[in-house]
Amino acid sequence: MILQLKDIHMSFTNAQNETFQLLRGVNLAVEKGKITALVGGNGTGKTTLFNIISGFEKGYTGDVIFERNNFNRISAHRISLMGIGRLFQDGQLLSGLTLMENMKIASDDKTGELPFSSLIRPKRWKDAEAKKEVQAKDIMRRIFGDDCKYLDMLNEDASAFSYGEQRLLSLARLLMGGDRLLLLDEPTSGVNPVYIDTIERIIREMVAEGLTVLLIEHNMHFVRRIADTCAYLDDGIIAKVGPTAEVLDDKNVRNSYLGL
Amino acid sequence: MEYIFHIIIMLNIYIMLTLSANLTIGMANLLTMCQAAFYGIGAYIGTYFLMQFNLPFLVIAALVMLLTGMFSILISFASVRLKGDYFVIATMGFQLIVYTILYNWTDVTRGPYGIPGIPGVKLLGIYELSGVYAYLLLSLVLMGIVVYLFHHLMKSPFGRALNAIRADEMMVKSMGRNTVMLKSWAFFLSAAVAGLAGVIYASYVSYIDPTSFTLDESIFIISALFIGGIGNTKGPILGAVFVVLLPELLRFVGLPDSIAANLRQIIYGLALILVMYYRPQGIWGKTILN
Repeated sequence: MILQLKDIHMSFTNAQNETFQLLRGVNLAVEKGKITALVGGNGTGKTTLFNIISGFEKGYTGDVIFERNNFNRISAHRISLMGIGRLFQDGQLLSGLTLMENMKIASDDKTGELPFSSLIRPKRWKDAEAKKEVQAKDIMRRIFGDDCKYLDMLNEDASAFSYGEQRLLSLARLLMGGDRLLLLDEPTSGVNPVYIDTIERIIREMVAEGLTVLLIEHNMHFVRRIADTCAYLDDGIIAKVGPTAEVLDDKNVRNSYLGL
Repeated sequence: MEYIFHIIIMLNIYIMLTLSANLTIGMANLLTMCQAAFYGIGAYIGTYFLMQFNLPFLVIAALVMLLTGMFSILISFASVRLKGDYFVIATMGFQLIVYTILYNWTDVTRGPYGIPGIPGVKLLGIYELSGVYAYLLLSLVLMGIVVYLFHHLMKSPFGRALNAIRADEMMVKSMGRNTVMLKSWAFFLSAAVAGLAGVIYASYVSYIDPTSFTLDESIFIISALFIGGIGNTKGPILGAVFVVLLPELLRFVGLPDSIAANLRQIIYGLALILVMYYRPQGIWGKTILN
């Protein structure tokens, strides 16, 4: 197992001082090199669970164990450095940066990102930048093909790309980070069917390269096609987990989540 | 001619101030209202060293930048704890505290009486600079170095990281970047350069008092920045040129001083409103404040 969630509890207190128990003891094991889908209704805590794993949510109890390291109370950027990448639900390319800059900022090589090192040792970071450019182009070719238009658009601002394209490119950007586990929050959300096929291909490419994928998704056709394992989050716990077809065909899941 | 050189010296000082403000506001998207506080801290620390020690200018400049930069830790701390409007208000609070200390700590700062007779800087610890020509040269060289360094920083991976934070800090964290540290460096450099501008100003005019380092002055610097534009080096320079040259141009119109002063404020305000409405990134800026 690459990731284990053990007895995760999380509650919120609203402005009226009322407390809501969102997660009531989530247990989940994510198998290395596989695609695991996390499904469940809106507001059941799926994104909160992603926030807990990636270090953005600290007010929980329980254990997050990644490759035998306990993540409790580790800051978000350190968790990322340990090998966990994330695609945000509403996150796309970083605006105001070019496509190439978006790829470079996602690299795990941070040479020149401190002011004095960038001033004192310019050759060192320029060499590192050149390597990142080669890596970014290589990823583009691998994912989108040798003659893809994005190779000619690397210096275009993020705003030059459509929503769907930004989603694809954000996924491709994850490959710059040298991560081992990717958390994908609704990768197909708001994307047209043509791009959904490409997203599927990119995710399969990621897994073929040895990455593990945990994804949140509401598109059940997509989940059925791509996920090896599916976990159904309901009422604050993982109510059902197993092979995707088995979970999605489960009578209780179909009844409570899909309304069938 | 000396009059023109005086304007150029003040312009060089304001270019340094707007560029320093641009690093935090334009690059890291952190609206700070305390640039004049760092300008003042630099001026007072610099004055202390100039009056107490016979040190070369480079040593004094380095000490002033280091010590003024260290005051930025307070703002860095606030940026971790406070977001958005609350952070802006906290920086205003810092500005007001610094002004109050400068005004009331009379044993050290002489409060409202100010400190007269500040000696000129000594380039190698021997030759004391005096006169408008020497400061013209010094301020031009320092302004050139600051412009070069900031331009270089903005094009470097550090500048890119700050730009990325401006766009989406959470996403940048998820890419393994310590955004608190990156922002702290931005604050440090911004404060250090504002402090450098302060020591040049203090030694050039040879007199300082707290009224040069008020909240109004911080707003003035930010107005210059927003009019010129944020996110690159051209915009802040243009903004400084606009706010420094405008009052001088109004002199030639022949208006009485009392009217010219008010008209200047009205023109600044109008320019700010028009720029914000029609070009939110500023006349020559690259990005907008999120």
